[in-house]
Amino acid sequence: MVAPPVLYSGHVDFRMRLVLATLSGRAIKIDRIRSDDLEPGLKDYEVSFLRLLEAITNGSVIEISYTGTTVIYKPGLIVNGNVTHNCPLSRAVGYFLEPVLLLAPFGKSALSLTLQGVTSNGVDLGVDTIRTALFPIYNKFGIMRQELRVIKRGAPPLGGGEVSVFLPHVVLQPITLHAAVKTPSVSKIRGVAYSTRVSPASVNRIIEGARGVLSITGCETFIYSDVARGEESGKSPGFGVSLVAEARSGWCYTAESVGGAGETPEDVGERAARALLEEVALGGMVCRSQVKSLIVLMVVGKEDVGRVLIGKGVIDEGFVRLLRDIKTMWGTEVRIKEQDTLDEEDEQAEGLDEYVVSIKGVGFVNSSKKIA
Amino acid sequence: MEQQNKAHRAVRKKSQKVATQNNGQNPKAFAVAAPRRLERQARRTHDVNEKRFHVPMVDRTPEEPPPVIVAVVGPPGTGKTTLIKSLVRRYTKHTLSDIRGPVTVVSGKRRRLTFIECANDMNSMIDIGKIADLVLLMIDGNFGFEMETMEFLNILAPHGFPRILGIATHLDLFKSPASLRASKKRLKHRLWTEVYKGAKLFYLSGVINGRYPDREILNLARFISVMKFRPLKWRNEHSYLLADRIVDITHPAEIERNSKIDRKITIYGYVHGTPLPALNARVHVPGIGDLTISDIERLPDPCPTPYQEKKDVEEGKIKRRKRLDDRLKVIYAPMSDVGGVLIDKDAVYIDIGHRSFVEGEEKGVGERLVVGLQNAKTTLGEGAVGIRLFSGAEALNEINPEDDEDDDIHKGNSGRKERRHGRAITGQSYGGDSDVGSDDEGDDEDEDYDDVDAEEVAYSKSMASRLVDNDEGGAEEFEFADSDSDLADYDDVDDFDVDSGDLRWKSNLADRALKDYKRRKWDIGKLLYLDHISPEDVIMRWKHEQLSSTVADGEEEDIEDDASDSENEDRDNGDDFFKKRDNSSILPVDAEVIDRSIPVYDNEGLKDKWSGSSPAFAAVKGRFMTRQSDENDEINSSDFDSNGDEVFGKFEDLETGQTITGSSAEEEKQDSVSGEEEEEQKEMSYDKVREANARKKEKLRLRFEEEEGQEDDGLGDDDPEKKLYDTWHDAQKAKIAKQLEINKAEFDEMDSATRERVEGYRAGHYVRIVIDNIPCEFIETLDPRFPVIIGSLLASEDRLGFLQVRIKRHRWHKKILKSNDPLIFSLGWRRFQSIPIYTTSDSRTRNRMLKYTPEHLHCTGTFYGPLSAPNTGFCAVQSVANGSASGAFRIAATGIVLDVDQSVQIVKKLKLVGTPYKIFKNTAFIQGMFNSALEVAKFEGATIKTVSGIRGQIKRALSKPEGHYRATFEDKILMSDIVILRAWYPIQPRKLYNPVTSLLLNEKTEWQGMRLTGELRHEKNLPVPQLKDSEYTTIERSVRRFNPLRVPKTIRSELPFKSQIAMMNPQKKESYLQKRAVVLGGTEKKKRDMMQKVMTLRNEQVRKRQEKKQERKTAYQKKIADNEEKRKERERKDKREYFQRQGKKRSAGEPGGGGGKRHRGDDE
Repeated sequence: MVAPPVLYSGHVDFRMRLVLATLSGRAIKIDRIRSDDLEPGLKDYEVSFLRLLEAITNGSVIEISYTGTTVIYKPGLIVNGNVTHNCPLSRAVGYFLEPVLLLAPFGKSALSLTLQGVTSNGVDLGVDTIRTALFPIYNKFGIMRQELRVIKRGAPPLGGGEVSVFLPHVVLQPITLHAAVKTPSVSKIRGVAYSTRVSPASVNRIIEGARGVLSITGCETFIYSDVARGEESGKSPGFGVSLVAEARSGWCYTAESVGGAGETPEDVGERAARALLEEVALGGMVCRSQVKSLIVLMVVGKEDVGRVLIGKGVIDEGFVRLLRDIKTMWGTEVRIKEQDTLDEEDEQAEGLDEYVVSIKGVGFVNSSKKIA
Repeated sequence: MEQQNKAHRAVRKKSQKVATQNNGQNPKAFAVAAPRRLERQARRTHDVNEKRFHVPMVDRTPEEPPPVIVAVVGPPGTGKTTLIKSLVRRYTKHTLSDIRGPVTVVSGKRRRLTFIECANDMNSMIDIGKIADLVLLMIDGNFGFEMETMEFLNILAPHGFPRILGIATHLDLFKSPASLRASKKRLKHRLWTEVYKGAKLFYLSGVINGRYPDREILNLARFISVMKFRPLKWRNEHSYLLADRIVDITHPAEIERNSKIDRKITIYGYVHGTPLPALNARVHVPGIGDLTISDIERLPDPCPTPYQEKKDVEEGKIKRRKRLDDRLKVIYAPMSDVGGVLIDKDAVYIDIGHRSFVEGEEKGVGERLVVGLQNAKTTLGEGAVGIRLFSGAEALNEINPEDDEDDDIHKGNSGRKERRHGRAITGQSYGGDSDVGSDDEGDDEDEDYDDVDAEEVAYSKSMASRLVDNDEGGAEEFEFADSDSDLADYDDVDDFDVDSGDLRWKSNLADRALKDYKRRKWDIGKLLYLDHISPEDVIMRWKHEQLSSTVADGEEEDIEDDASDSENEDRDNGDDFFKKRDNSSILPVDAEVIDRSIPVYDNEGLKDKWSGSSPAFAAVKGRFMTRQSDENDEINSSDFDSNGDEVFGKFEDLETGQTITGSSAEEEKQDSVSGEEEEEQKEMSYDKVREANARKKEKLRLRFEEEEGQEDDGLGDDDPEKKLYDTWHDAQKAKIAKQLEINKAEFDEMDSATRERVEGYRAGHYVRIVIDNIPCEFIETLDPRFPVIIGSLLASEDRLGFLQVRIKRHRWHKKILKSNDPLIFSLGWRRFQSIPIYTTSDSRTRNRMLKYTPEHLHCTGTFYGPLSAPNTGFCAVQSVANGSASGAFRIAATGIVLDVDQSVQIVKKLKLVGTPYKIFKNTAFIQGMFNSALEVAKFEGATIKTVSGIRGQIKRALSKPEGHYRATFEDKILMSDIVILRAWYPIQPRKLYNPVTSLLLNEKTEWQGMRLTGELRHEKNLPVPQLKDSEYTTIERSVRRFNPLRVPKTIRSELPFKSQIAMMNPQKKESYLQKRAVVLGGTEKKKRDMMQKVMTLRNEQVRKRQEKKQERKTAYQKKIADNEEKRKERERKDKREYFQRQGKKRSAGEPGGGGGKRHRGDDE
């Protein structure tokens, strides 16, 4: 009766595979998870993610082998609800929040999630980036009214941060996206520079650094400062910045950086600003940290073709892996076609190497949504 | 018969009022004369218009639609077969003698019809109801509506109503025209109440030459040919297929070995609904179960429409037919053996009209030889003897016929037939023994893992040895995989690779491949899904190509460098890249990939790149809107820019998408276009220019549309200029149409193979589907009269769980439904038996179980089954077996799915009862409710209640008599009170999911599932278990006498005036009557005496009269009773006669239709 599980190997794209499995409802088996490593098996954050998944779903069956190198996951239905999750300090809360954002709109009810741990660490998306750069992507698909509040900022290594996320909008299926004609122009640059348990002046120095680099764009730039004091601050000192280049159409590019050991705030600001320029230069509608969510949302749609413009630099290994995983899960392929630019008059697309990704939705319907 | 038309009636000329209105000078003169009437009229117009609206729905019917499925449904003996024969004859001039399975005919230029006759059992009716586009509902006009018709209509309703055309037959049996007319009217109105007001009912009179009259059939055919269909929700979300041909392609030897082996079958048919996914689609075949399509392939249309054929001829796909042999092409009914020749993918079947190669009836030597060979138990070369290729050579008997590699050897030079699958680390479905298979594949591909075009590599003689080696490897693997999981199966592949001796063919492979590689132009679209190339390689190959094509452009290379820093090392050494990769490259170590979301940047590189006026920035400069341009959007800003470069970025008004051209920069650019280029353009043929222009135009149009779509939906809230559509309805429809257009444009760009992979096999394609592992009973008992349907399943429908449904017992169903009694549901594509529990919502706080469905209300039901999206309709029956049909209405319930979940919370009311044994003021000791102190502890604080309504609370368990407890109440309770604790006990529905596997039975109409408890008891003659407690006993209540209320004197005196009890003291002095003595006498006495006598006489008279009356009454009652008896007798007789008649009608029709040549009139 029930289809056999899909087999994956290795720990690559662990989160995304679980997300795809949950959305499609197919059981998966992931084996050879770091089987040749000195510390074989799942890491603490992966187990923690499985726990979180179990918390927001009903009827999920997760079997982890004795050595931890094999996981069998039979997804249940997404029910959401009120969940508090303590994230391990090895990853930032963005590691957990990013996949949950993909699942929550297709649940039974609203999700109110509190995550505790490191708020940004420079590897996973920081909470500010998620709020300012990932939520607009969801809005494009008709998933609205997300709220994210940073209650406490927690920097690595000790964390101690807390984020409260409210995702009230449950939809039947995302809207089919059409954004394949013109690369958006950046109309303004916004950002959040934050610090916790360090001198508030460092925030201004970050802003200074970032603005210095971004000044060549001549674009309107405003970077908010957010200094965590007293109750709001976590256990470790730290600072960082998240920058978003916004277009009028709602699309945006993002980059962030977090202060490392011995780095000056100016360096951090400059680093983020250059990374932002780099992301803008790649072209397309989205940057590299948004593209996976975008593709998944396009796949779980109506049986219509959606199109999106993707810069060449955005297409990387992870992108290919995602498309392959989608194929094994749903059996659909996407088509990538070179964008033929609108010759002379299209001066701004000049030098951009962009591709149109057309995706036919799988006819996904959020079946756990109640009626009446 | 001559057609008789009504006399022509001229169209009435419209009056010239319009003109006069325009001429009017005085506007007041034409003011509304009757405003109320006008208002009413306007309202009515609006009402009528509103009623026409339906929820806008996407119509995904492709340009070349699949045949319309026309189901002919009706009770036995209503002339279904005759109708199909007549219609087929009408369309094709072909007389079918025996209709088996679907018959597809071309009915018009762009329309085909598939006729299917619905057998008379519940399963067929349910399946047909789900796929039919048009239902021809046959009604015996002489008899009226029958139960099957009503049942079928009620099956249709929850699954989405297709179009229905009623057809009344047997109208020639009416003797008088008046009764015919009355009957027609009655039928029509009854149909209207069932379908909709104004539903069409056709009338067919008698049968001539085994067909209905040509004129009537012609009318019907015309009616069908112009019929329009509205998409139905379920069919708009699923693809489905009505099998018109089924072939068993299991290897005969395997069947010979084990006749019960699971079969591999191919199913042919037109795809309907949404496109059918090309890869591993999950489908449900009602009557068999859930299956996975192992292969699917498009075949040329066996029954193309003239339109399509013409198009194909124009496109050069097929040759123009010289001669129209309409007998050959316009009908396609492979199960009914029409035409005689069938062309399949790998075979041509010719029906020679008689059977040959039958054992014992062989004709000639050849036939005898073949039949003899068929009898052989083993295949050639099997067994101990072996096969000898040359005389005197050694007998070969080592070849394992099951080894796939052997096939390769035998095929020899013929090369590979399929693309080799990579050492896929992703997405192999595993299960049972497929592990073993994939392992074998795995090490095969290890060999030529990078051998992208093996054709170019000459196969040297070492090829054979390699294959043999490979076999060994395969064998090793086999054992290994068998013994354990497949965790480390790649290790020994490495050894084997090193060990294998002759690898000369590989030696210069890298060089050659490098050459290939250099000149190859990689297309990302192709590379993406080549599973044997790792994602890293995909990106590297693709970007390398990009690079080499733009070597001159140093700047771009820069970008490249930064964007893909990890690839830098590998880029130049192509050799490296063709080396066999070890485990670590397939599964990257943790340092390499940690599932990060923020990309890695080369910070130093970026620093150089984005500093000041770098060339990199010049390239993206245009992407930033500067502050000035932002502010002065509308102003032509050419004057405030000193830098010519910056001009480019500033003129685009992004809001409106309007590009302000003609600026100085633009002109400059145009000037700079050198003369040679212009010449080039001249050289370019006009066609090319046109093409380019068209492309540009299309592009602009798309951009315009997109921006328009983003900004607003065409409704424009306040801006009247933006308002494109009058109503929301129009806007939605326009949106849908636009999306469809985009889909079409997008798919048309793809070549057919890509399109099939991306879109799937769309409706209208004739496909051949291969399905593995179908139970052998399906093929062995295949009967084309029962439809075989393949319905695709969405990903979410492939799971089991609890469904909460809103359910209502059908008002025509005789019995109410009981919780925990099995019921057969028809939900989605599936038919299955499950055990529902009926519940009701207690003010939305809990779901309380009901023992039975309410009489005339909806209730909630919960059962275990395959999940379906909420809002899906279903119907339920208690039994699908014809044998158990009692003649009553069989549809037990209908409803829709409300919610799906993996667990449910249903409670049942539980009342615990106790009695007080000691009562203080408000405290009482209660006994008999619990058995232990522990139980009491669990309910401490729970509210309790006496029968009389006094509320209380459980306080504490008593130590001594176990299970007794102390409780307090709001008032003093009585010893005779009963104390009740109301509790809720959670219950779980039973997890039964039992698909109706009717197609696997010999008797397809007699599927028996789990039976009802009552049925079982009846069969086994068991009594219904009765609890002693639940038995009814006569309640004896002694009359209670209460003492009068006596208020003590002290209290009475204390009472306030308002509450004073009014009491009268006994009278002390004698009254007048008491004092007076009365003595009778004189006339008074005489009068009394007289009156007594008169009354005595009168009484006697009355008594006599009464007696007489009683006598008469008894006689009369006797007479009445006699009459009643006679009436009953007559009724009984009538009933007997009616059912006898009914019975005759049933028995005349063979089970499952094919009533054949029978007229009801004959019976009478």
